[in-house]
Amino acid sequence: MGWLSRIRRAGRIAEPAPAVPDPVMPPPTGVRRSLQLRHVDAGSCNGCEIEIGAAFGPVYDAERYGARLVASPRHADALLVTGVVTRNMEQPLRNTLAAVPEPKMVIAVGDCARNCGVFAGGHGVVGSVRDVVGADVEVPGCPPRPEQIVEALRSVTGR
Amino acid sequence: MNPDLDARTDPRERSGVPATGPAAGKADIATASSGSRPVPPRPSAVASGAATVAVGAAGLAAGVAALTGATRPIRLDALVPLLGIQLHLTPLGGLFAVLIGAVAIPVGIYTVGYARAERLPRGALGMLPVFVAAMLLVPAADSVGTFLVAWELMAISSLVLVLADHRRTAVRAAGAFYAVLTHLGFIAILLALVLLAAAAGTGDFGGIAAAGPGLPTGTRSAVFLLALAGFGSKAGLLPLHAWLPRAHPEAPSPVSALMSAAMVALGCYGLLRIGVQLLGPGPRWWGLTLLALGAVSALFGVLSASVATDLKRLLAYSTTENMGLVAVGLGVAMTLGSSGRHDVAAIATTAALLHLLAHAAFKALGFLSAGAVLAGTGLRDLDRLGGLARRMPATAVLFGVAALGASGLPLGAGFVSEWLLLQGLIHSPVPGDQVLALAVPLTVGAVALTTGLGVVTMVKAFGVAFLARPRSAAAADARPAPVSMLAGMALAAAGCLVLAVAPVAVGPALAGAAGELPLGVVRLEPVLLRLPGAAGTVAPAVLGAGMLLLVLLSVLIGRRGSRQRPAAVTVPLWACGADQLSPRMQYTATSFAEPLQRVFDGVLRPDTDVQIDRPAGSPYQIERAVYRTRQVDSVERQLYRPVLHWVRALAGWVRRAHTGSVHLYLAYGGLGLLVVLVLGLVVAR
Repeated sequence: MGWLSRIRRAGRIAEPAPAVPDPVMPPPTGVRRSLQLRHVDAGSCNGCEIEIGAAFGPVYDAERYGARLVASPRHADALLVTGVVTRNMEQPLRNTLAAVPEPKMVIAVGDCARNCGVFAGGHGVVGSVRDVVGADVEVPGCPPRPEQIVEALRSVTGR
Repeated sequence: MNPDLDARTDPRERSGVPATGPAAGKADIATASSGSRPVPPRPSAVASGAATVAVGAAGLAAGVAALTGATRPIRLDALVPLLGIQLHLTPLGGLFAVLIGAVAIPVGIYTVGYARAERLPRGALGMLPVFVAAMLLVPAADSVGTFLVAWELMAISSLVLVLADHRRTAVRAAGAFYAVLTHLGFIAILLALVLLAAAAGTGDFGGIAAAGPGLPTGTRSAVFLLALAGFGSKAGLLPLHAWLPRAHPEAPSPVSALMSAAMVALGCYGLLRIGVQLLGPGPRWWGLTLLALGAVSALFGVLSASVATDLKRLLAYSTTENMGLVAVGLGVAMTLGSSGRHDVAAIATTAALLHLLAHAAFKALGFLSAGAVLAGTGLRDLDRLGGLARRMPATAVLFGVAALGASGLPLGAGFVSEWLLLQGLIHSPVPGDQVLALAVPLTVGAVALTTGLGVVTMVKAFGVAFLARPRSAAAADARPAPVSMLAGMALAAAGCLVLAVAPVAVGPALAGAAGELPLGVVRLEPVLLRLPGAAGTVAPAVLGAGMLLLVLLSVLIGRRGSRQRPAAVTVPLWACGADQLSPRMQYTATSFAEPLQRVFDGVLRPDTDVQIDRPAGSPYQIERAVYRTRQVDSVERQLYRPVLHWVRALAGWVRRAHTGSVHLYLAYGGLGLLVVLVLGLVVAR
């Protein structure tokens, strides 16, 4: 029973929940406290992916606020897009958004997704997420801290 | 219209044009005759089909008469000099006559359409009813001589049918393989029967049966082993199974169906007649040998079937699997019979006989549907088929019935018999019997693994061939089967359904046949199947009705719910962000079986070869990747190749005496004559 005692020793490591941020918009499906997300890397350096991973890890635990990462856009309410939109990923991003059932929304994570960041003007870059598919919520930072990502998600789930 | 589809249909239209001209080539005839325009069936095919149906119906009627005990022995001494022909269809033979007749009738109907689609030669069409008649003679034979004549007639007529398309090298190779193996088996049977007749002092089956149990044990064991080898080779048991996966795929499909469903069952008939009835109860190791052989055959057969990519080869290996299960049933019955557990032995006997009938039904249907696929697409390779359910829906449903039967799931033809087999095995341990205590759990494991892998195999066969998208142009342009083929297949499917839902229909036949054997059978009851002396019941009909009810209920509920739902929207298929799915992204038969191939690598020993071409100076890019895998029967490789090697070496040695000189040959002849004369003189003294 080594693992049981290890669990007991670790205890609860999640950060205490900060105050609920002001809602930016209601969850797209109209169901509060629930947001199913499909993550799309449109051309990121993977810095934002690491922070998203941390946001859904045991310390920041975004799932306690109702946000969940799912395996297919068919199961999702929203897309979580990171990185600049590159030429190769432009059509797949559009296809993925088309595959999300209505009503839906787009959350752009990181400076690259907001305004192309340091890659602005690069030869393989089509534009920011806002330019290509539009963004409903944007999270600034290069990369954004997990707290910021969690806060942005909470501003949609309202929890 | 989709431009892609346009391009696909175009070549067919183009090739159809010259077919109307006088200089139509061979390939064009096929295209023209397979068009949507109804073409009258070939008169020779109709004659052959009608004759096959007539012979089959006669066999069925004779079998039913024999089962009710209304047949009498026939003697035709003038037909074969010195030997005479003695026929008597007893209830045991009657069961097999019913089986052969019931398979021959759908096959005969099917042949009418198949002969045109696949251009069967006239010789093969003429041989088909002869083959059925020869098969019917085997269970009717009542003496050693008659049995051997009928057996050989069946072997030769089936060989002619296997070689129907003899212009292809693969067919000739398969024919040679089949001829050699079937005759090796024949030699074993010949030796067994001659030995038996000599020891019993009569060639009459009735006389042998009376004298059999009293013969010396050594003789009886030798006869049993020889019979096991000979009939095992016909039944496709290891290690003489290698002709099945070669001859079945290359033979025309109606012939494959007849061979796999009916002729192979006659191997079991031979075992029952010679090994069980004529020899009488034997020592325990007979049953244990049969049990072990059956379990190994079943496992090897299903493993080979699960990695086969040729649809008919897969079905052929599945035959080895099912005959292995039948042998397990008979082996358990014989072992328990000699241990005195007759109640459980009866369960195993019922399982074996019922599984023979079920196998005949679903395997005939399986081969006939595979033939419909072959006629509609020209393909047997599962890796190039796919999406046939849309082009040939009726065939898809019928193959589904066969696959369900072969996988031994409820509502499939093989379910009740496999359930009975497992029940018989589970209830067979005798307290204090260490051999059985060891053998039975191993066999239960083997049978369970066989059944599970059988499901995988059939899911692969059905899913890859009929579902998803076509993997080749030929599969995309599949032509639906003509009415006569569908009618034959539907008849076989009806047989499958009867065996699945109401096995009670064959209950009297089984009881009649078993009455002749020193083994009993379980009485099959109409609804609830109870096992005497064992806790276990199954109600296949109730199971079927319940399932039908559930399906109907869910359809109704779904209909009801659809009124409240918003209107459906058509959206593009989700392809993980890519623009569209291509058929190359699907599971193929090879990739579906790849995990199994890895797990059972030590048994299957596939030849796989991965070759990756990289552009010059760039080690990280791939220009082309080629994956090749070839499945060679591992028993064939381990056992047959060394034997063939030695035979060849021996032949080379003997060849030294054949110089081609006429003088030398004359000298051989003269010497031979001299030796015979001298020997004659010595003996005469």
